[in-house]
Amino acid sequence: MNKFRLTRWLISLPPILFLLIFFAAPSLIMVITSFRFPGEYGGLAPLVAPETDTMAGDSSLYGLTLEAYRFFFSDILYAEIFLKSFAVAATSTLICLIMAYPVAMLIAQSAKKYRNLMILLVVLPFASNFLIRIYAWMIILGPESAFSHFINNMLQFFGFEPVMMLFSSFAVLVGTVYVHLPFMILPLYTNLEKHDPVLLDAAQDLGANRWQRFWRVTWPQSLPGVFSGSALVFIPVLGMFAIPDILGGTGDILIGNLIKDQFLGTRDWPFGSALSIMLMLVVLCVTGLFTLLARPRAPK
Amino acid sequence: MKRTNLTLWLAAGLVYIFLYVPLVIVVIYSFNDSRLNAEWVGFTLDWYYKLFNNQEMLLAARNSLIIAVSASLLATLLGTMAGLAIHRYRIRVLPFLVFAPIAMPEILLGVSLLLFFLQILNLTLGLVSIIIAHTTFCVGFVAIIVRARLQGMDDSIFEAARDLGATPWQTFRLITLPLIMPAVVAGALMSFTLSIDDFVITFFTKGIGEPILPIQIYTMIKIAVTPEINAISTLFMLLTLLLIIIANRLDSGILQEGKKS
Amino acid sequence: MKSSRILISLFCLLCITLTSCTSGDQVASNDLPDQDDNILRLFNWNNYISQQTIERFEQICQCRVTQDYYSDNEELLAKLAAGATGYDLLVPTGNAMDTLIHQGVLSALDKAQIPNLKNIDPNYLGTLFDPDNRYSIPYAYTTTLVGFNREKLAELNLPTDSWSIIFEPEYLKKIRGRVTVLDSQRELMAAALKYLGYSANDTDEVHWQQAKKLIIQAKPYWAAFSNTSYIRELAVGNLWVAHGYSNDMYQAALDAQKTGRHFTVDFVIPREGAVLSLDSMVLHHTGHQPDLAHRFINFMLEGKNSAELTNLTGSGNPNLAAQPYILPEIITNPAIFPDMAQLTRLEMLQDINHTQRRLLSRIWTEIKLR
Repeated sequence: MNKFRLTRWLISLPPILFLLIFFAAPSLIMVITSFRFPGEYGGLAPLVAPETDTMAGDSSLYGLTLEAYRFFFSDILYAEIFLKSFAVAATSTLICLIMAYPVAMLIAQSAKKYRNLMILLVVLPFASNFLIRIYAWMIILGPESAFSHFINNMLQFFGFEPVMMLFSSFAVLVGTVYVHLPFMILPLYTNLEKHDPVLLDAAQDLGANRWQRFWRVTWPQSLPGVFSGSALVFIPVLGMFAIPDILGGTGDILIGNLIKDQFLGTRDWPFGSALSIMLMLVVLCVTGLFTLLARPRAPK
Repeated sequence: MKRTNLTLWLAAGLVYIFLYVPLVIVVIYSFNDSRLNAEWVGFTLDWYYKLFNNQEMLLAARNSLIIAVSASLLATLLGTMAGLAIHRYRIRVLPFLVFAPIAMPEILLGVSLLLFFLQILNLTLGLVSIIIAHTTFCVGFVAIIVRARLQGMDDSIFEAARDLGATPWQTFRLITLPLIMPAVVAGALMSFTLSIDDFVITFFTKGIGEPILPIQIYTMIKIAVTPEINAISTLFMLLTLLLIIIANRLDSGILQEGKKS
Repeated sequence: MKSSRILISLFCLLCITLTSCTSGDQVASNDLPDQDDNILRLFNWNNYISQQTIERFEQICQCRVTQDYYSDNEELLAKLAAGATGYDLLVPTGNAMDTLIHQGVLSALDKAQIPNLKNIDPNYLGTLFDPDNRYSIPYAYTTTLVGFNREKLAELNLPTDSWSIIFEPEYLKKIRGRVTVLDSQRELMAAALKYLGYSANDTDEVHWQQAKKLIIQAKPYWAAFSNTSYIRELAVGNLWVAHGYSNDMYQAALDAQKTGRHFTVDFVIPREGAVLSLDSMVLHHTGHQPDLAHRFINFMLEGKNSAELTNLTGSGNPNLAAQPYILPEIITNPAIFPDMAQLTRLEMLQDINHTQRRLLSRIWTEIKLR
C-alpha cells in the first residue's frame, strides 16, 4: 500500500507542480489585475503603483475594485458577444464531430499496417504554418477562384443570387473547422481503436442491422472520445481571434477578438483580464458538465 | 477487420480531400514564378533558392523545431502523467489545472507568462521561456486524450498484474503504457502542431533577436504571402513525412495498442 | 516497452537532424544579452529596413544588428508594458511614442552624436508629442488614405478623392462587397470624423456617436475590416476600394503592375484630409548600447541609407538629403510625398486617455456587432 502511495505521488506531483508554477501563479497575477484600476497609459501600471486618483469617485479597498466587472454587466453588448461565440464554437464542434467520426472510424477499422499512414495523413497538413493554411483558404474562397465560380454558377443556375464566400461567417466556419479537425479526429481514433470487434459481431448475431449496431454499440462506447474531442475543439475555438480577423466579414467578432482588443488597442488590461476570467469560468462550468456526462457507463 | 463499407470510405475520403485541398495550393504555389500567389505563371525553384539563402529564416526554422520538439516531449511526459493521475488517483485539482490553460485566451496566457518570467522569476527570455510557455498549454491536450483512452478500460488487468507481484513500474511498462500508447503518440503529435503554429504566446515570451518561425512568417505575410513561405511550409511537411516514415520503419506498431502477450 | 523506446529515440533523432542540418554555418544568436557585447538590438516594424542597409552598418560599426518585429504599435506597447527589456532602439508612431514618453521609458538623445539631424525637414521636427525632439528622430511616415482600382472606379463613375467612397451608401451600393476598411479603432474613427468635417483627434462624444452612425450605415456594403490582406486582394482585383496606408498601397500598385494586371491600383489622399503617421527612432531606457544606437540613428539619417528605406517600402521620407536617391515614381507621388498644401490637411493622431479609450472600445464593439 505504501508503494502504491509513493507511485501515486510520483505520477501526480510533476504535472501538478509544473502547472501550479507556470500556469496558476501567472494566472493569479491576471486575476488580481482584473480587480485593479486601469492605468492612464495602459499596461500594468496599477499593479506596480495604483493610480487610484485617476478614477476618483469610485469606492475602492486597498486599490482593488469591481469596476471592470461592473463595466461588463453595464452593457448587454458583451453578453451578446459571449452568446455569439458560444454559438460559433458549438457549430464548429458539431461540424468537426460529424466530419471526424467517419475518418476516425475508418482508421480504427483499417488493417493495422495502414493505420499509421492514415493518421499521419491527418496530421501532416498541420506541419505547415497556420497562417499559410488560412491564406490558402483565402485563395480558395476568393471571388475569382475556380471554386467560387463553380458555386456561383450553380447558385445562378438554380436562380439564387451569387454569394461572396470570402469575408463571411461561412469562411470563418470553414477556417475554424479546418484548423481544429485533427483535435477531434485524434481523440476519437484513440477511443475507437480500442473497441472490441467481438461486441459488434455479437450484435450482428443478435440480428442488429448496421445502423443499430452503430447507435447501440459503437456510439455509446465512443462517448469518452467524443467528449474529449469536443472539449479540445470547443474550448480553443471560444478564445480564437486570428481566423475571424483574417477570413471574417464586418460582423465577425468573437470574445477572442474583444479580449485581444483590450490588451492591444484599448490597453485596458483589467477589463481584458475580467473578460478572460469570466470566459474561463463559463468554460470550466461547461467542461464540468462534460465530465459528468463523460462518466463511463456500464457497457451493455 | 473487413467491416469497412463504401459509405464510410466515401465520407472519410471527402474529409481527406477537405484536408488536402489547401495543402495542394500551398505546395503548387511554392513552385510558382509569381510573388502574388494569384495565378499560375510558370515553374521555378527560385523560392527554394531564396529560402536557402535566407539565414534568418533557416535559423528561425531551427529554433522553432527545437522548441516544438522539446515542448511536445515535455508536454507528452507531463500530460501522460496528468492523464493517468486524473483517471487512476482522482486527484481533485488536476482536472482544473489541465483544462484551464486550454480555456485561457492565448493573449492572456502570453501576457501573464511574460510578466511572471520577467518580474517574478527574473528569467532571461529565450528558447527556454518559449518552451515552458508552450508546454503549459500543450499538457492539457495530452492529458485529456490520455484520460479519454483510459476511460472505460477494464481496471482489473492492473489489479491482476499487481496480484501477480508486478512492481508499479513493471505494471506501467508492460501493461499501462502499451495500452495508452496510441493516445500518447496522438498527444505528442497534437502538441507538436500546436507549438509549431503558435504566434501570440511566442511573441510575448520570446527573447531579443531570436528569430522564431511563426513570427518570421507573420512578418513576411504583412506585405503579401511570398511563395518563400509556401516553400518553407512544403519543406516542413516533407520533413515531418520523412521522420514519421523512419519511425514507422523502426516500429510499425507505434500508433497501435501494444501486442498482447 | 519497445514502442516507448522508439518514441524517445524518434524525438532524439528529430533533434539531431534539426540541429545538424542548420547549425554549422550560423552565427550563434541565442547568446544571452550581456552588457559588453557588440550587438545593437532593434525592435522595429516588419519590413521596415533594407537588409543591405543593415549589412552596411554592421561593416562600419564592426558590430551585429538583431531585429525583432511588431506589426502594430499596440504589440510594441503591450510587450514593453509587460516588462520586456534590453531593446536599444524602437520605431514607434507618434501616438505610441506619446505613451512611451509619458510612461518615462525613453532615454533622452544626445544630439551632439547625431550631426545628420540637420538633414531632416523642419516640417517634421518639433511635433506635439516631443516639441524639442528630446527623445525622437523622425524616420519615415505614411498617410492613411483610399486605394482603388482605377479602371473599375472610372467605369462606375465614382469619386476617388473623397472619404465619401467608403462612407456614402449611394456610391457604396455599386461596389458592395469589394471594399475593406482598416481594422483599427483610431484610424477608422479618424476617417469618419474627417469626413464629417471634424478633427481626427476630436474626442467629443456627440461627434463620436455621429461617426458611429455613419460607420454602421456604411458597414453592410463593406466586405471586411482588414489591416493587411487588402494589399494582396487589391493587387489581385478582388477588391476595388480599400482604406489603408500609403506604403501598403504602393506595394499593391507595384504588385499589380509587376504581375501584368489589366488594371492599375491608385491611391489618393482624400480632400477632406487624413491621418499622417510619423514613425520615429527612440532609445529605450533598458538598452545596453546607447552609443551604438546613436551611431545607428546618425547612419540612418545619411541621405543614401534613408533613401534605401523609402525605395524598399514606399513610405514617405522626412529626410531632405535622401531625396536625390529616391526613385522618381515614389517621390513624385503626391499621396506618398504630400506637398505643403496637403500637409496642412493631414493630422497626426494623439493619444487619448483611459476613459476615452474605453468609450471608443465600446463604440467599436457595437460597430462590429451590429
